[in-house]
Amino acid sequence: MSRDLMEGSEAIARAAIDADCRFFSGYPMTPFTELLENFAKSLPARGGVCINAESEIEAIGMAWGAAATGARAATGSTGQGLALMQESLSEISRAEVPLVIFNMARGQGDYYQATRGGGHGDYRLLVLAPTDVEEAVYLTQLAFHLADHWRHPVLVYGDYLLAHTRQAVEITPTDFGERPDKSWAVDGSLGGTGRSRNVNSIGMQKGTKGIDPEAFWDRLQKKTERIEAAEVRFEEENCEDAEIVIVAFGTLARFARYVVRELRAEGVRVGLFRPISLWPFPSEALDRATSNARRVAVLEQNAGQMIDDVRLSILGRVPIVSIGGISTDAAGFGIGPLLDAEVIRARVENVFQEGAS
Amino acid sequence: MAADPALKMTRKEFVSDQDVRWCPGCGDYSILANVQRVMPELGVPRENVVFVSGIGCSSRFPYYMNTYGFHTIHGRAPAFATGIKASRPELSVWIVTGDGDGLSIGGNHLLHTIRRNINTQILLFNNQIYGLTKGQYSPTSKVGIKTKSTPQGSIDHPVDPIAFAIGCGATFIARTIDVDAKHMQNILKRAHEHKGTAFVEILQNCPVFNDGIWEDVQDRKSRAKASLVLEHGQPLVYGPAENRQGIVFKDGIPSVIDLAEDDDPIERGVVVHDEHPEASSYAGVLATLQRPDFPLPVGVFRAVEKPTYEAMLQDQVDSATAERGVGDLSALLHSGDTWRI
Ligand code: SF4
Repeated sequence: MSRDLMEGSEAIARAAIDADCRFFSGYPMTPFTELLENFAKSLPARGGVCINAESEIEAIGMAWGAAATGARAATGSTGQGLALMQESLSEISRAEVPLVIFNMARGQGDYYQATRGGGHGDYRLLVLAPTDVEEAVYLTQLAFHLADHWRHPVLVYGDYLLAHTRQAVEITPTDFGERPDKSWAVDGSLGGTGRSRNVNSIGMQKGTKGIDPEAFWDRLQKKTERIEAAEVRFEEENCEDAEIVIVAFGTLARFARYVVRELRAEGVRVGLFRPISLWPFPSEALDRATSNARRVAVLEQNAGQMIDDVRLSILGRVPIVSIGGISTDAAGFGIGPLLDAEVIRARVENVFQEGAS
Repeated sequence: MAADPALKMTRKEFVSDQDVRWCPGCGDYSILANVQRVMPELGVPRENVVFVSGIGCSSRFPYYMNTYGFHTIHGRAPAFATGIKASRPELSVWIVTGDGDGLSIGGNHLLHTIRRNINTQILLFNNQIYGLTKGQYSPTSKVGIKTKSTPQGSIDHPVDPIAFAIGCGATFIARTIDVDAKHMQNILKRAHEHKGTAFVEILQNCPVFNDGIWEDVQDRKSRAKASLVLEHGQPLVYGPAENRQGIVFKDGIPSVIDLAEDDDPIERGVVVHDEHPEASSYAGVLATLQRPDFPLPVGVFRAVEKPTYEAMLQDQVDSATAERGVGDLSALLHSGDTWRI
C-alpha cells in the first residue's frame, strides 16, 4: 500500500475506523475539532455512527453507553474538555468498560490529568503518547486492542501539532490477535435465556446480594498492577554512553530527537529517552538508561509535571534538571517557542556547561 | 424492539433477586410493581430490555428489574441511553429518573435526548424533593418550601416537567400517579408503543421527606375533583357526577365552568381533548392547569409522529455505505483530503 499525505486528525480517525471503531462522540474544541469532523465524515460509510454531542459530558456518556453494548467506541477533546469527562472516566474504569479517549491537547499541561487518574478514586488510565502521525496510527489501533484486552479506558495523548501536521503515512490495520470475548456486553444476545446483566461502577451484579466494595476495588487494584507490569512502552536512543540523557514525550520528543542526532554527529555524548506509555511510566527502563549519565534533562512543555515521574524513577541517583517550561502561542494552543530545535539545542548545551563547571 | 405477542412471560420473570431498598410506604414500590406487571405484556424478551438510571432513590430501579441495567452517573442516564440506542437500536431502552436527577443536574441531557426523538421511554418520578440525600428542595419544589438547605423557604420558581417536555418538542407526553395501577399500566403500554421519545411524569409520594404533596390526586375520594383524566376525543370534564365541571378556552386562556347534570359539555363549549395536534400550543395550555384553580390533568397530553433519531441515523449510514461501499477501505483511504506521494 502506498503512503498518503494526511493530517494527524484524519490519520487517527482512519486508523480508529480500521481498528473497527464504530462509535464516536465529541464536542468541538480546538485543536480536537478536526478529529470529530473526520469521524463524522468517515464513520457512516463504514456502518458506524458519529454524534456531535451537546457537551463533553454528554459525549463521554454516549460513548460509554455505546461501548457497553460491545461496540468499539471512542470519544475525545482537549484537556479542558477532558476535565469535564473525568467523572465518567473514573466510573468507566470501575465499570470496566473498554473505551478509547483522545486528548488533542493544547501543549503538554495535561500530563498530571492524564497520568494521575484525573477523577475521583483509585484508578489510572492507560496513556499512550505518540510522537508523530505515523506512531499515532499504530498507537490508536493499539489503544482499541488494549481497551478490550484489559476492559479499561485507554487515553491517546496528542497535541495541536499531531492533529494538524501533514505527514506521509501508511494506514495498515495491525493484527493484535484474537479479540477478547465480550460476553459481559449489553447486546441483547442472550437469546431468551432470561439472564441479565448490570453495568455499574460499584461491582453490584445480579445474582449476588449487595456489594463488597473492598473486595471489588481490591480486584481492580490487582488488575492495575498487572497492567503496570505488562504495558510499559518507551524508546531510547544513544543513552548507553550518554553524559546527558534528555527525557521527553510526544511532539516535543521529536524535536529533541533531531537535536540529539545533530549533537551526536558532532561527537557530543547526549541521549534521548522517550516514554511512549505515560502510564505505566517506564521507570525501570529510565533508571537503566541513565546509569552512566551525569545529568538527566527533562524537556516538557509545562511547568514541570513529568519531572515527578522522572524523580521517582531515578530516586536521587543522578541530578535532574528541567529544560522545558510553559511555552505557547497567543491563543494558548501550545505552539510555543520551545518547539524549535535551536532553542532546545541551546538549553541542552547549557546543561553540558553547567555540568562541567 | 418488535413485540412478540407469542412470547409468554410472567411478572415474576422481571423481578430480580435483589432486596428492594426504599423506605416503607415509598411510592416507588407501586411504580416498580406496575412496571413489572406491564413488562410481560409488551412481548419483549428480558435480554432485549435495558433500564438506565442516574443517581437518586428512583435510580435504584435497574437493580430490581431482571433485565439489563445501567446504574450510571447523576443526571446522565439520557446520554448513556443515546449511545446504547445508536449502537443497538433493537433494544427497548427505559430511562428512570427523578425530579432532581432529571431536571436539576440532568436537565441538559434530558433536553437533548427528547429533542432528538430517540426511541426510549423516560419515566420521571416527581416527588418534588431530594430523597436520597435526605430532604433538600428540588427543581420541582414549590416556592416557599422549607428544607434543610432552604431553611428560610425556597425562592426558586419550580419547573413543570410536562411543560419542560413540551418545550423540548417531545412527541409523547403523559402524566400518571404512583397509586393508580390501572392508569399507570395503560400509560406505560402506550409509552412503549410510541415510536420516539415517550416522556412520562409519575407523581410519586416521598412519605419521609415530602409527604402528601399529591394527596388530593392520589386519594380516591378527592381524585375526581382534583384531577382531570385526559382521554382522546372526550371533553375536558371532571368532578363527581352530581357536580361536574369542564374546561373552556377563551382566547386561548383556560377557565372552569360548572355543568348541570343534563348539560352536553360539548354544546357548552368544553374543549374536546386531542392528543395529535402538530403544534404543541394546546398541550402547552393543558400543562398550565395546576391546582388549586384547576384540576391537575393526568393521561396523555400529546402523541404525535416524527421520525426517530435512530431511524434517521440508519438512513444516513445506509446512504453512506451505498455511496461508498461497505468496507471498501481503499476507496475510503483515497477519497477526500489526501494526496498520494
Ligand atoms: S427518601 Fe423518599 S423517595 Fe427516597 S426511598 Fe425514601 S420515601 Fe422513597
